[in-house]
Amino acid sequence: MPPLDKCPHAKPFKQRKSLATRMEEVAGIRAKFPTKIPVIVERYPKEKYLPLLDKTKFLVPQELTMTQFITIIRNRMSLMPSQAFYLLVNNTSLASMSQIMTEVYRDHKDEDGFLYMTYASQEMFGSIVANFFNIDF
Amino acid sequence: MHPAVSCDRRTMNSVSPSSAQYRGMAPDEVLPADYSKKHLIGQSPSPRDVKSHFAHLTEAGRSSEPDEVDKIKAKFMSAWNNVKYGWTVKTKTNFNKTSPLTLLGRTYILDNEDAIDQFRKNFISLIWLTYRREFQPLEGSVWTTDCGWGCMLRSGQMLLAQGLLAHLLPSGWTWPDALQLTDVEMEALKPQSPSPSSPVLGVPHIFTLHSSRDQSRLDGVRLHGSPLHARSRGQSWDPEADHMHRRVIAWFGDHPNAPFSVHKLVEYGKSSGKKAGDWYGPSIVAHIIRKAVSQASELSNLVVYVAQDCTVYKGDVERLCESNTTGSSYKHSADGKSVIILVPVRLGGEMLNPIYKECVKDILRLDCCIGIIGGRPKHSLYFIGFQDDHLLYLDPHYCQAVVDITKNNFPLESFHCSSPRKVSFSRMDPSCTIGFYAKDKKDFESLCAKVTTALTSCSKEKYPIFTFAEGYGQDYGVDDLCTSSPDQASVAPAPSRPRMAKRASADDFVFL
Repeated sequence: MPPLDKCPHAKPFKQRKSLATRMEEVAGIRAKFPTKIPVIVERYPKEKYLPLLDKTKFLVPQELTMTQFITIIRNRMSLMPSQAFYLLVNNTSLASMSQIMTEVYRDHKDEDGFLYMTYASQEMFGSIVANFFNIDF
Repeated sequence: MHPAVSCDRRTMNSVSPSSAQYRGMAPDEVLPADYSKKHLIGQSPSPRDVKSHFAHLTEAGRSSEPDEVDKIKAKFMSAWNNVKYGWTVKTKTNFNKTSPLTLLGRTYILDNEDAIDQFRKNFISLIWLTYRREFQPLEGSVWTTDCGWGCMLRSGQMLLAQGLLAHLLPSGWTWPDALQLTDVEMEALKPQSPSPSSPVLGVPHIFTLHSSRDQSRLDGVRLHGSPLHARSRGQSWDPEADHMHRRVIAWFGDHPNAPFSVHKLVEYGKSSGKKAGDWYGPSIVAHIIRKAVSQASELSNLVVYVAQDCTVYKGDVERLCESNTTGSSYKHSADGKSVIILVPVRLGGEMLNPIYKECVKDILRLDCCIGIIGGRPKHSLYFIGFQDDHLLYLDPHYCQAVVDITKNNFPLESFHCSSPRKVSFSRMDPSCTIGFYAKDKKDFESLCAKVTTALTSCSKEKYPIFTFAEGYGQDYGVDDLCTSSPDQASVAPAPSRPRMAKRASADDFVFL
């Protein structure tokens, strides 16, 4: 898949729709698919290496493990297994791969009913002239 | 910027009460700032640095006698390079005398001289790898230095070097010259000390190398004892271990044939899309290290495992360790190969998520941990311990002249650092790679248990930094998923799926 680096949505999902709209959307989808979990997967705003996902809204079986979920997302982006890829929820890395989606949903679902995840790789390091005298930017 | 200004600034910043606190001396025992300032300007590191610089040039047959202009020029360039590449000239390191200071699994309370000596000995014995200049060009490029871009590779080298020391040297080994190194600095700081060129211990290069390090120089303030005392105080001398220590350092020398040279590492990074001059990340470097060790004929009994998706599959590690143990070395053959486990993680978005702080500390308390490569944003550091809310590190951002490791008795001093430094956890970049070492199968089992405890006990969170899983990665359906959903990458979901008919009502959700 070619990296979709042209950003289709300037704003994150949460800012594109009002809370009421989002809640309505979750209520509708949960009524139709009670065993599926509505998940929003977005790229970390400062991510420079991973491509944008073609989609942001996912309906995920509740028993899906994090390993499986991450594998699917990695696969959608055609990442090499060795390429760094992390899913963050509330600034926390989802590193317990045996955890299933329901557990994560229970712990981290948003007030609107969606589960928000951010994906990121790792930062790169190198020193720059402006680093001098211990000043970072 | 005038070089003298830079020296001045360094000196002012360097001589701080920290020395006194570290040593437990009264502040008035510290040399007065203006003395040191004068001293540093008068006999500043750079002219001696120039010596090594020119020694190198002479060897290369390019120059013979340094003249004053060259001296000043080199002095300026040396100062400028190190400022430019982020060598922290402002840092003063204060160590609390009463709170425990942890350095790779050992904890010290620095309230007495013995503890300080012990700590210093262990700290200085760590291998310090920094930017170098004037090495042979990296293949396919014009780069003859990694200054400004290779810091993560250097941190990775330090992590690997620590793993190799654990692998090849007796546990508890310290570099016999560790305290001498500092003693020499002490000598250099004494008003009545001999001129820099006069040999102490008959090893003139100590001066050359040492003098190129302004920060370590100021640490001399807190040092004590004379070289002779250090020698007589020294532990039993193990020539075999010392020989191995030198060999390990030589493997990291900046020479295309050295198995872990920047030259080789850059080469191995090419398959990850990196080239000389690029910036590297802790995860890429983990994979580069894995490749480098697997290619190194010198190390047939060591393997490197890199965790994917924050999971260490025990079965995969064991299988790796059992893989055809040939050319077994003298002490690691019975239980398969030894293993370095590298776990690339991301501990938050912008900065380190504070919930991980205690866990990082617990990991650094383990003796199986060989450190963490990461840094503050954009500035790679090798984390080796902590005290209170600060991480202890070795910093690769110091540009030194290359050392010719093909020479039999190449000087070791520039591969050791005598100035421990700290950075607040709050400034730690969340991207890092954690390293562990296990000598054999039994050691690996105990490692799994200890690390799991460290990962789970500290966090109220049930989201650990990473986990161990039984069995093999492939048992977890990772491969199946990879092959069974080739259509996932397309923008439109596969039309063959019956439930996609409901897509209109389900808006633009993707069904998994």
